[in-house]
Amino acid sequence: MLRTNAGSLVEVAVHGEVWPPSAARDPYKATSEGLAAVTLGMAGICFQNRVGDPAFGWEADHLEPGVSIRNRDDGAEHALHYLACIGNEAVVTSGLNKGARGTVTGEHAHVMVDFPPDSIELLAIGDKVQIKAYGTGLKLLDHPTVQLHKCSPALLDALELVTLPDGRLQVPIVAEIPSHLMGSGAELMADYVDQDFMTGDRAEMARLGLDRLRLGDVVAVRNQDHTWGRGYYEDAITIGLIIHGDSAWTGHGPGVLDLMSSRQPAIVTTVDPQANIAWRLGLRDLSTEAIREPGAVSSYAGIVDAAR
Amino acid sequence: MFDNREQLIGISVQGTIVSPEYPPLPASPYLIGADGTPQLLPSQGGIVYNVRVGDSAFGWLADMVQPGVSIRASAESANQALNVLSCIGNEAIVVSGEAAGLRGTVIGKSGRFAEHVIVDFPADVLEQLAIDDKILVRAYGRSLALTDYPEVVLRSISPRLLDSLEIEANGSDGVAVPVVAEVPAFLIGAGSGLMTESGCIQIQTDHPGALTEHGLDELRLGDVVAVRDYDSRWGNGYLKDAVTVGIVGHGDSPRAGYGPGLTVVMASTANRIQPVLRSGRNIAELLSLRETAEAVA
Repeated sequence: MLRTNAGSLVEVAVHGEVWPPSAARDPYKATSEGLAAVTLGMAGICFQNRVGDPAFGWEADHLEPGVSIRNRDDGAEHALHYLACIGNEAVVTSGLNKGARGTVTGEHAHVMVDFPPDSIELLAIGDKVQIKAYGTGLKLLDHPTVQLHKCSPALLDALELVTLPDGRLQVPIVAEIPSHLMGSGAELMADYVDQDFMTGDRAEMARLGLDRLRLGDVVAVRNQDHTWGRGYYEDAITIGLIIHGDSAWTGHGPGVLDLMSSRQPAIVTTVDPQANIAWRLGLRDLSTEAIREPGAVSSYAGIVDAAR
Repeated sequence: MFDNREQLIGISVQGTIVSPEYPPLPASPYLIGADGTPQLLPSQGGIVYNVRVGDSAFGWLADMVQPGVSIRASAESANQALNVLSCIGNEAIVVSGEAAGLRGTVIGKSGRFAEHVIVDFPADVLEQLAIDDKILVRAYGRSLALTDYPEVVLRSISPRLLDSLEIEANGSDGVAVPVVAEVPAFLIGAGSGLMTESGCIQIQTDHPGALTEHGLDELRLGDVVAVRDYDSRWGNGYLKDAVTVGIVGHGDSPRAGYGPGLTVVMASTANRIQPVLRSGRNIAELLSLRETAEAVA
């Protein structure tokens, strides 16, 4: 068990409401191939898509799995964004589904909450969801150069982290994303939403096997320092979580939410295909549930896996 | 080389000189540097008196300094038009205030980072300008295309700039473009995933070694620069063998992922744009905005 300052953290309620998908009157956007596409995938209740599903292959853009919540008040909305941590407990506080419990699995345009399937059937847009925000300020006491972002103590416990004899932190990951693929979100600070990895080069995706990633996978990005902002820095390393699905827009793709980063080579990784929060947090069970395999579905908005 | 300029229309767009801006209280005025240090620096906007296109993109104590004058339209939709229709090299005319009737030139765009159009004026005009003065841009160049190279797309480029770039046919499937430097895709940070038409992409400068290694530490505002393996046709993002050409529009920044910003002017895939390294390719000279001997800051 890693030593942390979890005993000093304050647990506080933040809340939002189940947020409807929205569209502009002229909803077309240009894909990376210059084709017009009407896109859906953000906000609302995704009845069939959960953390653990493939990140690619849905007819959706920036698919936000599970339930997306947001707060109408600007200040409360930012508190929701900055304080809710991955693995935090959520509870429905209004409507027919009052009392149902879920888990925070991502932060993008909305905070994403995973609920067991039977408990979202009666969930409605506008229902209130409250989160026990717990994790902001969390530190690994034996790894002072590793900055944590949006890690709840529960998530830290589930990631199977190990301090190696040489003092470095070992993190199991599903895959590594090279620095040159890091795209939209570079303009934002590391504590705010995610940074997409760029999937417009489908041959590159296939070569690196990144098109087989799942929502909820833990990944590493080398030579990226996301301690404060998000940028290239030789020998820095960032550990992230895949929180939303692929995109057909240039410079976009599945979102990598920062979990930890160090400007120094203070983190080493081991590849473990099971490093996904859907199973590590006990939200889903691969052995009993029929979960779609990555690669089973093909294209989106004209971006076909032509390279395969 | 043939193009479609006779089909383009020239149209008015207009903005006013914007004040530098900071988020109102209770927000902190500090930006956070890549190393976590809070810094208070001049932001984008305003009239910048001592930094002009042709000067170094580095070494200024400012965040993304936009040389000359930054303009914006107050209505969001009009500002979008100002930003997407203005082209580098377009004529800008002061239409209110002490300097009414005097002329400048569009030299860049800040994109989502401020949604400004950046305009160069001669020093004596700058002295007469005031914040809120109205600047009209004769927008001309949007939809400009090279007739024989439909796969090479042009963005935010006026016929005047196109003529000055000395682009040459390089066989049947590509064009050679003289540039001062080539940027590898991994050094592009902020701007990826954002709009091409009104935006910019930033050469990130947090790791100094990478900058020196690729000969980017002496870039000047206004330099013509190529980005390898980068596709800015419909947005901005990585694509092997795509090439994007941009003009350095604003200066360096201490933020992670930020640095000199490129206003995109050309893009293509499959190496149809072939950058040719040539010194002195800077719009201060190409558009005769400054005397060569003057551009030495």
